[in-house]
Amino acid sequence: MVSLTHERKPDASTRRSAGRRRPKADGWLLGCVLALVGLGLVMVYSSSISFAERNIGDGSYYLWRQSIAVGLGLFLMYVTMRTPVRLWEAAGPYLLLGGMALLVLVLIPGAGITVNGSSRWLRLGAINLQPSELIKLILVVYVAGYFVRRQEELHNFTQGVFIISIVVVAIGMLLLQEPDLGAMVVISMTVLGMLFLAGVRFWHFGVVVVTGVVGMAILTLIAPYRFARVVGFLDPWADPFNSGFQLVQALIAFGRGEWFGVGLGASVQKLYYLPAAHTDFIFAVTAEELGLLGVLVVIVLFGILVTRAFLISRQAERVGLLYGARLAQGVGLLLGLQAIINMGVNMGALPTKGLTLPFLSYGGSSILTSFIAVGLLLMVQRETRAHAWGVQ
Amino acid sequence: MSHSGRSMRHPVRYWLVLSGLWAILGLLGVRATYLQVVASDYLQRQGDARYLRTVTDNAHRGMILDRNGSPLAISTPVQSVWADPPAFMRARQRWPALARVLGLQQRDLARQVRKYADREFMYLKRHVTPDVAARARALKIPGVFLQREYRRYYPTGAVSGHVIGFTDIDDRGQQGLELAYEAMLRSTPGKKRVLRDLYGNIIETVESVSLATPGKDLVVSLDRRIQYLVYRELGAAMEAYNARAATAIVMDTHTGEVLAMVNLPGFNPNNRSKLTSAAFRNRAVTDVFEPGSTLKPFTVAAALESGQLTPESLIDTAPGRFRVGTKIIRDLRNYGELSVAQVIEKSSNVGAAKIALSMSKEQIWGMLRRAGFGETTGSRLPGESAGLLNPPSQWVSIDQASVSFGYGISVTSLQLARAYAVLANDGVLVPITMLRRDAPVRGVKVMTRRTAQQIRNMLELAVSRRGTGAAAQLLHYSVAGKTGTVHKLISGDYAKDRYVASFAGMAPASNPRLVMVVTVDEPEARRHFGGQTAAPVFSRVMAGALRLLNIAPDIPQQGLRWAAPTTSAPPA
Repeated sequence: MVSLTHERKPDASTRRSAGRRRPKADGWLLGCVLALVGLGLVMVYSSSISFAERNIGDGSYYLWRQSIAVGLGLFLMYVTMRTPVRLWEAAGPYLLLGGMALLVLVLIPGAGITVNGSSRWLRLGAINLQPSELIKLILVVYVAGYFVRRQEELHNFTQGVFIISIVVVAIGMLLLQEPDLGAMVVISMTVLGMLFLAGVRFWHFGVVVVTGVVGMAILTLIAPYRFARVVGFLDPWADPFNSGFQLVQALIAFGRGEWFGVGLGASVQKLYYLPAAHTDFIFAVTAEELGLLGVLVVIVLFGILVTRAFLISRQAERVGLLYGARLAQGVGLLLGLQAIINMGVNMGALPTKGLTLPFLSYGGSSILTSFIAVGLLLMVQRETRAHAWGVQ
Repeated sequence: MSHSGRSMRHPVRYWLVLSGLWAILGLLGVRATYLQVVASDYLQRQGDARYLRTVTDNAHRGMILDRNGSPLAISTPVQSVWADPPAFMRARQRWPALARVLGLQQRDLARQVRKYADREFMYLKRHVTPDVAARARALKIPGVFLQREYRRYYPTGAVSGHVIGFTDIDDRGQQGLELAYEAMLRSTPGKKRVLRDLYGNIIETVESVSLATPGKDLVVSLDRRIQYLVYRELGAAMEAYNARAATAIVMDTHTGEVLAMVNLPGFNPNNRSKLTSAAFRNRAVTDVFEPGSTLKPFTVAAALESGQLTPESLIDTAPGRFRVGTKIIRDLRNYGELSVAQVIEKSSNVGAAKIALSMSKEQIWGMLRRAGFGETTGSRLPGESAGLLNPPSQWVSIDQASVSFGYGISVTSLQLARAYAVLANDGVLVPITMLRRDAPVRGVKVMTRRTAQQIRNMLELAVSRRGTGAAAQLLHYSVAGKTGTVHKLISGDYAKDRYVASFAGMAPASNPRLVMVVTVDEPEARRHFGGQTAAPVFSRVMAGALRLLNIAPDIPQQGLRWAAPTTSAPPA
């Protein structure tokens, strides 16, 4: 029997004597996250130093803000890890309502802050909160709970797929008002993945996918700026100074990187050529400075992160923690898909979206929700382990 | 919440999704490899096209130094403010501040920027003071940069303005020696490829395409001290005689080097904003005048060379008038019977005409031609005139007579100086140069040594107490020279009250080292003779120049022989 108090107070003697003890936290997962965050801090500093120097007069401005966010994120991750899974399962619907309220609030002029034509931020004292980052996680928490509650009705189209779709569409509509298409795409794909993993019928799943694709196509066609982005993505070199500008600059950054990069701090593209170099396009700057090697390391780190999430979900499922399993799958999908989409956008493999690269991009809301997401994984793992050893 | 029982609900879907995610990550890795390894050359070229620029690196123009190494023209680095119009356009709210610093009108600035909107480079203001450059830089306006350029500075200012000339704002020679030796003085800007950020700031130099090479220094024949002396004395004379213009040249007789060349009124090449191009003319080589009596020695030289006359041969000039065709040639008074030497000493027109008419046209023409009249001197100074010496086939007898005393022929001051250098140099014409000559140069024998010496003796008489050029005398040095006073030719007619007074001479007469020509354009009517206006300038300059050049006096006890000039000395 290993008690929680025992876990809290590790020392050399117990570690040696408890030869059969498992590690307290997932070393692979934490290692990946810390590696990504560490690299992220370095790259945020490197990619923002000139920009911050020029616009704010302090080259380390973004580094400091990001460092504070990371510190807060680590704390929130720890707190989240210590919470009981049951709390989240029960809180899902309320969190959803709260999150949707924030999404409405951000649209109200005066409450929301508009940057570059998008109303994505709420001012909360000294910090700006981005509700669309929160809602991604909230939806995962909610949907996981929904699947567990309606375990038996998932074969039923109306009960299984339709209700969830309604929720996603409602949130999607709110996100489109900001607009924040990137968040909507990530949410939709994450929920689709969760539906699939939860075991809905193939043809139900197919209907949702087709509907989603058609819906996205319509959204793209009716909004000129989205259409331009798609066209710009298909052939960025056709108009490299307008619609294709950002993508062309990102591709050039990749091309300059070659195998081992131009060296840390030596990026040219970050010198105002590449817009959003320290946020959405930090991966391109990483590619330029650290080369293919750095890119592959980041890709593998995200792969390990997703894999750990899935392994945690399997362990949870084995011991019967169905909610924890669904939650871990959802979090893994959320982080993995967002990373994949961001990296794909950076490499010109996907149309441009306003999405951050989890743990690397500058952005307090993104960092905090990403850490909370990892906290949820660690929480599930903690309870799984406790469950397996019969603590409960 | 416990759902124990089945170990795993959808293992296939689980592995499908996980492997799907890994497959996508793998594809991203493939895409990255393609971009960073396969397409990297193309992408890098695209990047280079966006931020690699070739910029020029200016080097300084060669200095112009006088024969002793004193600077006459030097280049000092200055800053020019330029803009990258597209970047500058984005900082429109900063324009007023910049306009204030640069002293530009806001409206003019806006118009200029609009004009160059689709370019990558435009000057905002050139050659600003270091203070203005520093303040413009401190504004930190995107798209505004400084470029190092060179501004030409002339330490001697107006003293050598005409002969040195000047450069334009792009450092290209425009006048004078700056133009003549442009190819040598010019610097070659270097080219280098630099990496720029989006706002145009240079991040680093990628490669140096070509190095900037400064121009070569030019050592000219001028002696700054003598140049200044000439400038001062000529200016004093200009003022004293209220003259319209004046020119003087000092030459080294043996080497053909021009030691000083001054035109007045002068101009300051350092500040010429309000001047017209006429003011820049180096009249010593561009403007011609009828030399008058200063040409008589060459008439006599032709006669002596022909062997028809000796210095002692007598010419009857009575009654001071001589009719040639329809024209009457006059002397100032009736000199009666004069020797050839006295014709020079008294400057008798009648005597010169009679000597000329005793020879063939070709003999006179040939002497003048050999002495260098009617052709440029090869000084390479821009705009040099060849003067006018009509071929003898076009001469009628009055032409032959009037050429003998310097009418009907046009010369430049420099030509006259060169011709006198022939007399000074025992009959050898040494090519003129504006550069310091370090090795002796071969001249051309123009007349016999004997003839040249005989002429010099006559010219020595001409500056004696009884001669017309007595004011040219020097303490301790013997002088040989000739005055000239001609009516100005104004649109085809000789003006009654407008003259060009001149003096051409050399010193020391026993072994001439320096030749000097002075012309004064339109001195006031009361004192218009060359002996009154030009000769004193010669005297004052020569006294200083001979001492400066350490030339030994040839008549140490001259004080006994020397007498005050007949004319009153001009105020210094």
